[in-house]
Amino acid sequence: MDLKVIDHATCTFCGCVCDDIQLHADDTRIHKAKGACVLGKAWFLNHTTERNCPAALIDGKEATVEEAIQVAADLLYEADMPLVYGMSNTTCEAQRECVAMADLLGGLLDSHTSL
Amino acid sequence: MLRITGGSVYDPANSINGEVRDLYIADGKFVDKESCDSGRVIDATGMIIFPGGVDVHTHVAGGSINFARAMTPEDHRRTQAFIRTKTRRSGLGGMAPTTFATGYLYAGMGYTTVNEAAVPVLSARHTHEELSDIPIVDKSSLVLMANNEIFLDLLEEGETERAKQVIAWYLWAAKAYGIKAVNPGGVAAWKYGDNASQLTEPVSGYKNVTPGNIVAQLAQIIDELGIPHPIHLHCNNLGAPGNVSTTLETMKHLEGRRAHFAHLQYHAYGGDDWGTMRSASVELAEYFNAHPNMTTDAGAVLFGDTVTITADGPWQHLLYKLTGRKWGNLDVENETGCGIVPYTYKPSNLVNAVQWATGLELLLLIDDPWRVFMSTDHPNGACFWRYPEILQLLMSADFRKECMACLPANIKNRITLPEIDREYTLYELATIISAGPARALGLKQKGNLGVGADADVVIYNRNVNIAEMFGHPRYVIKSGEIVIEEGDIRETPDGREYIIKPSFDPGTDDFLQPLFEDRYCMSFENYPVEMERIENPHLQDCKPQQ
Amino acid sequence: MQKSRFLPRGRKDRTMVLVDIRETKSVKAADIFLQVRPGKDFELLTILRAMIKDQPISDAEVAETGVSIEALQDLVARMKAAKFGAMFFGMGLSMTRGKHMNSAALLTLAAEMNAFTKFVAMPMRGHGNVTGADVIMRWQTGYPFGISFNRGYPRYNPGEFSTVDVLVRGDTDCVFVIGADPGATMPQPAIDHLARVPTIVLDPHVTHTSRLAKVHITTAPAGISAPGTAYRMDEIPLPLRPALKSSYPTDEEVTRRIKEAIQAKPDWMVEGPQRLETQV
Repeated sequence: MDLKVIDHATCTFCGCVCDDIQLHADDTRIHKAKGACVLGKAWFLNHTTERNCPAALIDGKEATVEEAIQVAADLLYEADMPLVYGMSNTTCEAQRECVAMADLLGGLLDSHTSL
Repeated sequence: MLRITGGSVYDPANSINGEVRDLYIADGKFVDKESCDSGRVIDATGMIIFPGGVDVHTHVAGGSINFARAMTPEDHRRTQAFIRTKTRRSGLGGMAPTTFATGYLYAGMGYTTVNEAAVPVLSARHTHEELSDIPIVDKSSLVLMANNEIFLDLLEEGETERAKQVIAWYLWAAKAYGIKAVNPGGVAAWKYGDNASQLTEPVSGYKNVTPGNIVAQLAQIIDELGIPHPIHLHCNNLGAPGNVSTTLETMKHLEGRRAHFAHLQYHAYGGDDWGTMRSASVELAEYFNAHPNMTTDAGAVLFGDTVTITADGPWQHLLYKLTGRKWGNLDVENETGCGIVPYTYKPSNLVNAVQWATGLELLLLIDDPWRVFMSTDHPNGACFWRYPEILQLLMSADFRKECMACLPANIKNRITLPEIDREYTLYELATIISAGPARALGLKQKGNLGVGADADVVIYNRNVNIAEMFGHPRYVIKSGEIVIEEGDIRETPDGREYIIKPSFDPGTDDFLQPLFEDRYCMSFENYPVEMERIENPHLQDCKPQQ
Repeated sequence: MQKSRFLPRGRKDRTMVLVDIRETKSVKAADIFLQVRPGKDFELLTILRAMIKDQPISDAEVAETGVSIEALQDLVARMKAAKFGAMFFGMGLSMTRGKHMNSAALLTLAAEMNAFTKFVAMPMRGHGNVTGADVIMRWQTGYPFGISFNRGYPRYNPGEFSTVDVLVRGDTDCVFVIGADPGATMPQPAIDHLARVPTIVLDPHVTHTSRLAKVHITTAPAGISAPGTAYRMDEIPLPLRPALKSSYPTDEEVTRRIKEAIQAKPDWMVEGPQRLETQV
């Protein structure tokens, strides 16, 4: 089967954020990450589109994303001092939503930097 | 729809000087009376009406100001906080305001368009992301070009036609509006701890490239490409005593061409060293007045705390050594650099006192208000939200005298300010804060209250306290929407961003790619800013003049 | 390695000095390895600052660092002779004895080296896009991390508003975790508090934190199947080019939907106009 080739892909495993990786992928996984280092290869080849995880969990039980979003919103809204934390292994677009949400909540906001 | 009736209108673009006129607004534009037959009416009887302010030179978004934010947490703590509301994000003002606060503060003093004056192409994506988080005002940006290695190499080889194509390509890659030159050749030399101080001496690493031919070639290219805003130039030797000779020489290199000289105050010093430094505004203004090809912004200084940020890396290292305060340095690969140093201008300091006087002298000695504009080179000379203080100094010779009483006694013979009794009229002020900079930027729809122009307008209550009047407008209207009313922020709409697309040879990609891959640390394909990233892009015409 | 006009022989024209407390795998890549005694980084950096300025130092002080005076003299000579020096530092410097004082000493050394030649310093960032979080928080709030919006505007106080401190003191009553797995990396008292309060996790996998959380939502991994932007550690933003399509939603989408669900509720903030006060 022919693999789809993605040139100039960006690796977000570590802070170097190399953007000269050539990825060879089929519909379910990446088979080759040319130009990536050992860490990068492990990062790219380790993911699959198979649904190995439940869409969402509430109290450890499977739930729909819609339900989980509603419960999350309720919990954050009702909290006196909610904390938004992390934001490392995600996109800037998501980070901007996180900052906006912490602002809206009047809560705390922190990243890996403080560790 | 909105009608503004009975106000005294100051609209220099249409030669209206304080006459009582009614303004009609529909769909974000000024329209004639017939097209506006309903909606709110603002009774502006007895009030003063200006077109929305246009800042031709400021630093509000991107890697450098964001570095300055990180370096000045102590200032964020003492400054005004903008509390979140249902419709508005929180923010902090101060020396390096957050993006949201930048929009609130600019609009709060009646400014509706700002031009971010220093963007490296390499981090232009970052600048645009920040610009999209500055609400209310319209925006544009200038890309740094005078120290770009690929461009300098082409000049070295005399490949000016190719250089033109490459610059057009870079401009479009950055989704910028114009070209900024900072310390031509000097920032490139700074990568090796060097500087470029002589206009006709080769830049280190080159045989033929001199600061003088960098500016002349850039100005030529900008005219040939038809870029609406002329070369936006930060001359060599910024801040150095005696640098007026460099500035005058640079002006001579650009004779007969369009050019905008940024923050002229920092380039207008006589004397030989810090001990003998004096204002050279008289000789500079004399030359400037006689050469209508040039425009400038003041880069005025006010006493107080600020943080200086500039692409002029070597100068910032010197400032760090002079002050012993925090110093941040950023190098931008092949393109440019940047330095950040917090600074306090003190009236008791002779050099600072000379700088303070020089900025005002230039504003007062340059006789054509269409060619000299309001700026503090925010945040370098002072923060932009202090502009109203400068307007007061310009309008009142008595107030200037009062302020001069605080200057050190040995300032005598170093400045001309005590001998200048000119006082700005409201019409002249409207020119230097709005109509003039809009024209210099080539934004015909700005700084203009005529039918068809963008409905950006400020309404002031008359007040004998000029600083208070301009600092607290009664209404600020952006694209026909009331954004500030009696000191309250009403709406925070998104602004648009002005960009241009100069035409270039489609083969430029193929020419640049190998050079790029040889020098840069990112992929060529990931370098240009995608159009989708620009919020409300507005493509301005870019046509070579016949 | 990249060849350039000023370094035409690429790697051969460069010198790499590695400083660490033990011989790591990186030693092979370096030209010079200096083994510093654990917890003596600040002392070593301070001695270097003295040596570049030809100030006297005692043998005992040098001996304390574990590095010989000859090696230090050689290093100083190389630093001064360099055309462009760069120092990279990681958590081994910033998170051991002395902490931010060590980082400050290194940054001061870099600044002072500019009296002789061009020198810069940059922190090495670990996790993928932690730089993006720094950059965005700075432009939107003025501060890079450790922020509180309790008063309706951003305040900054590491130690008070930083996560480990907040969790260990038990100062939060709901935690939203995204792009991180504190349940695997934080001190136990912090993890205990994460388990005590309702925690919400967004992650491509069911993580340690997910297992002790109230809510877990699976999202598409950034750069693999979620598009967007990431900042390199020198603050250059790069576009992501995902190779796979995910049936899970992105972090951005889920966070935005949670935010919108919160926005739909009555606002806790008292509504009223805000005056633009005179700035100071």
